[in-house]
Amino acid sequence: MATTCDVDPDLVTKIETFRFAKRSQGNAALICKIDKNKLLIEEEVEQDSITMEELAESLPDNTPRYVVLSFELKHDDGRLSYPLVFLYYAPSGVKPELNMLYASAKTYFQQKVGLGKVFDVQDAESLTEDWMRSMLLK
Amino acid sequence: MSDTPNVNEFNLGPISCHAFNQDRTELAICFNTNVVSIFRKSGAGWTQAWTLEEHDKPVTSVDWAPKSNRIVTCSQDRNAYVWTFNPASQQWKPTLVLLRINRAATFVRWSPEEDKFAVASGSRCISVCYFEEDSDWWVGKHIKKPIRSTVLSLDWHPNNVLLAAGCADMKARVFSAFIKGVDKKPAPSPWGEKLPFNTVCGEFSSGTGGWVHSIAFSPNGDALAFTGHDSTITFVNPASGLVQSIRAPYLPYVSILWLNENQVVAAGHDCAPHLFENKDQQWAFSSSLDSAVKKADVGFTAMDTFRRMDSRAQSTASNDTEVHTRHQNTINSIRAFSGSRDHVTEYSTSGIDGKLIIWSTGNIVKGLHNLRL
Repeated sequence: MATTCDVDPDLVTKIETFRFAKRSQGNAALICKIDKNKLLIEEEVEQDSITMEELAESLPDNTPRYVVLSFELKHDDGRLSYPLVFLYYAPSGVKPELNMLYASAKTYFQQKVGLGKVFDVQDAESLTEDWMRSMLLK
Repeated sequence: MSDTPNVNEFNLGPISCHAFNQDRTELAICFNTNVVSIFRKSGAGWTQAWTLEEHDKPVTSVDWAPKSNRIVTCSQDRNAYVWTFNPASQQWKPTLVLLRINRAATFVRWSPEEDKFAVASGSRCISVCYFEEDSDWWVGKHIKKPIRSTVLSLDWHPNNVLLAAGCADMKARVFSAFIKGVDKKPAPSPWGEKLPFNTVCGEFSSGTGGWVHSIAFSPNGDALAFTGHDSTITFVNPASGLVQSIRAPYLPYVSILWLNENQVVAAGHDCAPHLFENKDQQWAFSSSLDSAVKKADVGFTAMDTFRRMDSRAQSTASNDTEVHTRHQNTINSIRAFSGSRDHVTEYSTSGIDGKLIIWSTGNIVKGLHNLRL
């Protein structure tokens, strides 16, 4: 499949371990960025046991990001599951070049890493526990 | 510097906004069109040198950064452009700035350090724009709360962080436009200490209410003056808690300028600049700075009277189509022309009559006893 960027092989393995890590509580996130010069999708930062609000705070507001999120989902019947979610964070007011770069590599990244659930986020403020829950339980 | 004002008539239409470059040899001016013309001083007059054409709708405001020589224009087409001059090709190159507003932009000003500019808009927000080196892109951050209507005018505080905004919701506010990464922590001022972006450092009203058409910080930034559509001019001093509103018996003022810590010039629908002075902590109207220039009486001979009755059906020598001030219509912009921020010696005014007049303040002290309204 044609693509603009490659995925850093370290990142692929990192996501594998991330996916199968035993979670007891809380959300964990892996924020990935694209290095413009190398055209490579690589890891920016990994955060363990954070709330959605903290994740929203740490996202930059002037560039898009790919967020691989392990979300602590409380089902109505009391079960706890930890689905792996892909968030495509693209705030407005970003240079169109960057937008195009991230948008073009998005599907390739998804396929390469094997992420089924994907959601688009326009601004960091809408990233809340309730919003995530409602998106997953639909 | 002569005491009589220097009148420049362009005859190209009403002037919506104007700005001079640092040495005042070039003038960027918009005649209520989509285009900004740059005139270069030649002798006693001005010749057109460049035309900045990018906007799709009338340009509402223009500002020229003196040190970095960049021009920013904003327009009713909801965009702003930053123009940089290329000396090699002698051309002005535009860079689009996405303001992300959904109404017209009304006013724009560069910050004192010229690393940011603020755009007021009709979409009830102020867009503070700064340049991001790594993405090579101007990014805009919005100041939204608690603005309830169109923002009509802006003024930056000398510390490059505080921004005063006059709004059509009849309030004058001081915001913090602190941008992480661009600004260093500002020194504590009477306006506040910890100032994250969008903090409201003060909200003021004239008491009677009226759209705040223009607003300006005093030269050292410790006081604020703003004018309202209710013909008031209000002075605020946060340190002493003083908020003094003066109800002027004249038409509303649309533009103001601080000449020094104790004198403010305001101009508007009365077509003449008016002086306000601070004496013993009391601000008051002093005088009009346009000595009423009575035009030479136009033809009072019998011959002229009959000629007038014949060709124009005027039975009396009424020349009330002319206003007895130098500007024949509303003055909508006053800008400092020469001197320093705390001692302005000349200022320029432009108005709907299409004239740009440069006034000197030298006559204020001397001629005040001669002036009459």
